[in-house]
Amino acid sequence: MKNPFEEFRSHTTRSKGKELPLDRILKAKEETLNQILKGYENLLKNEAKDLVWLMQYSTVIKAYSIAEEAIKGINYAAEDIEEFCYVLDKTDQVPYLITGPAGVYISALCNNAQEEEIVLRLQDVGIKINLLGYRLPEGKRLIIEGNVGDFTGISLEGGELIIEGSAKNYTGAGMKKGRIIVKQNVGFNTGHGMTGGEILVGGRIKGLGKVVGGKIYEKGQLVFPSDDYRPFYF
Amino acid sequence: MTLRDGYQDRVRRIYRFISENFYLNRPDLEVKGERYNSALLFGILTALYGGKELIIGEPGLGKTTSAEYISCLIYGIPLGVIWGSEVSGHPEQTEEKIVGRPDLGALNQGREVVVWSNFVQLPVKIVDEINRLPETKQSMILDGVDRGNWEYLNEMIINDEYALFATANYQDRGTNTIIAPLVDRFDVMVESRHPGPNLAFYIGRKSRFDNPLRHQEFEEKFHKLLRSQIPYREKLQRLEELSEGFRDYLKEKVGIETLSKEERFFIRKEMAQMPIDLDANAFMRMVLAELSFCHRYGQKRSVEACTEGCHYTGYLCYHVKNCASNRLPISVIGYSQALAWFLEDDEVDLEHVRTVLPFALAHRIQWRDSYISKKEGEGRNDPLQIYLAKEATEEIFHRYTEQRDYLLDALAIASRAFEGEAVEPLEGDHPIYEEIKKEIASLR
Repeated sequence: MKNPFEEFRSHTTRSKGKELPLDRILKAKEETLNQILKGYENLLKNEAKDLVWLMQYSTVIKAYSIAEEAIKGINYAAEDIEEFCYVLDKTDQVPYLITGPAGVYISALCNNAQEEEIVLRLQDVGIKINLLGYRLPEGKRLIIEGNVGDFTGISLEGGELIIEGSAKNYTGAGMKKGRIIVKQNVGFNTGHGMTGGEILVGGRIKGLGKVVGGKIYEKGQLVFPSDDYRPFYF
Repeated sequence: MTLRDGYQDRVRRIYRFISENFYLNRPDLEVKGERYNSALLFGILTALYGGKELIIGEPGLGKTTSAEYISCLIYGIPLGVIWGSEVSGHPEQTEEKIVGRPDLGALNQGREVVVWSNFVQLPVKIVDEINRLPETKQSMILDGVDRGNWEYLNEMIINDEYALFATANYQDRGTNTIIAPLVDRFDVMVESRHPGPNLAFYIGRKSRFDNPLRHQEFEEKFHKLLRSQIPYREKLQRLEELSEGFRDYLKEKVGIETLSKEERFFIRKEMAQMPIDLDANAFMRMVLAELSFCHRYGQKRSVEACTEGCHYTGYLCYHVKNCASNRLPISVIGYSQALAWFLEDDEVDLEHVRTVLPFALAHRIQWRDSYISKKEGEGRNDPLQIYLAKEATEEIFHRYTEQRDYLLDALAIASRAFEGEAVEPLEGDHPIYEEIKKEIASLR
């Protein structure tokens, strides 16, 4: 049979493998993702040795500082955070998913990302991650497409957190300033212990927590502070 | 390797002579730092290479004129003879006027003798307003246009040297669609453009009566010879002798040295020997892959539409309806060799192919309606077909530059597979890699 490639016989092959520009990009992305995963595994080793993570004020603070330490030096972008969320949900790369530390870790990633606005498209993520938006600082905007779990936006530090779906209990707990917008519904104890800022809920609020300060709106109506609602002072 | 034998210089002088005296137009094409007018450059390459060129444009913008002057000067035939050999496209055109007719005198005596038309007998042919020929009559000239074979009654003329120019106006009430098999037979399509108001004014001031390319005495001799009933081979020889006389006249009167038949054959031989470098070779394969590949149906077919959600939607195969014919690589390679020869380059490289490709693709690609509606409003200087072909060329060129090394490796590995080595073909995200795999699979 006629060799239709015979002119290329003398061409010396240079590329060792199948390397395309796309491959190079994917390889770089994969390396970044591996570093992020490694940091997360370190966090789990320290904080959830027995696959149990107790949600306490001090454990969250500790987990966050470990997470911040773990991600130092990783050059990542917003889409890497999103990719990490999908890896958590879909693959067996992560030995165990505990939504608490995962949320703290994702929050640390968002708070330390270069971008001022981060969009996480989590509609297709099966799990509802807790603690997203933890300590979101001023100047940052985090938009989450999909539903989230408990303790969303707790200790918010001036950032803007937008949830396109619904959030569960303790949304905005302990927040100091900033704004949380939940397009659909929120659970019980919303705004528990918050001292400032705003929570705007487009749907229904199942129940407010012991709110200290700030404003909470339900479907455009101010529900806290209200005439028949007395702020709770610790 | 190109021989620096002075022919290129002679051809360039012809180009300059026409562009400065007869076909005044702006350069619209840059090749390797030099600017040319595409209609004139491709016209000259067509005449030299022996190709087929379709010239489109508005009426009165020099489509036929450019072809006439080029034919006259490259083939050494007086302008009056060229005019007398042109076939004009109109609905009443017949085979008897285009190809030949029976010799009525001989027929009365019971003999069948064909009187061939000047159009058929001359090596260079011009069909004016080809799209005014109805579709049914276009089929009549298919074989002649393709191979230079002309048949009438039981006789046949085969042109051993043959170049064809056809002009076409944009669609109006009197035009017809040029049928796909005829369109595909044209090697290139160019537009003869408006020269701009300043050159147009200058053209308007030129005398209509003093044309140095006309020579009544030679024209009469040519016509007499063409009418005669001597065997075609002998007639060609005599035509060449007459042409030699006319060429001497041109050299003396206008200082332009034209080309003899022998020289034209020699030039064609030089062009055909022009090597093609690996980049031009691989780039062409990439182009052909995008224009013939279909992931779902095995190859492009104009009767089978692409399905939504195909992995290869980013490639040209998704935007075109038809499959590239085998005439496409013949045209691109032939004209690229001609261009490289004209520029006195040693081999055909990417620049030559990149220059020629849009003009070889423009008339051949049938774009999907969705793609046309997307692109037709974009700002441009070229007619839509040429613009889309230029865009397509640049798009594939961009992909080629990104994947060059990898593609060359893939082709080299494929070559090794054909020589019996047990190698695995390289994977890649382009139809060409799939086609390479198919070739290798056919060995096993």
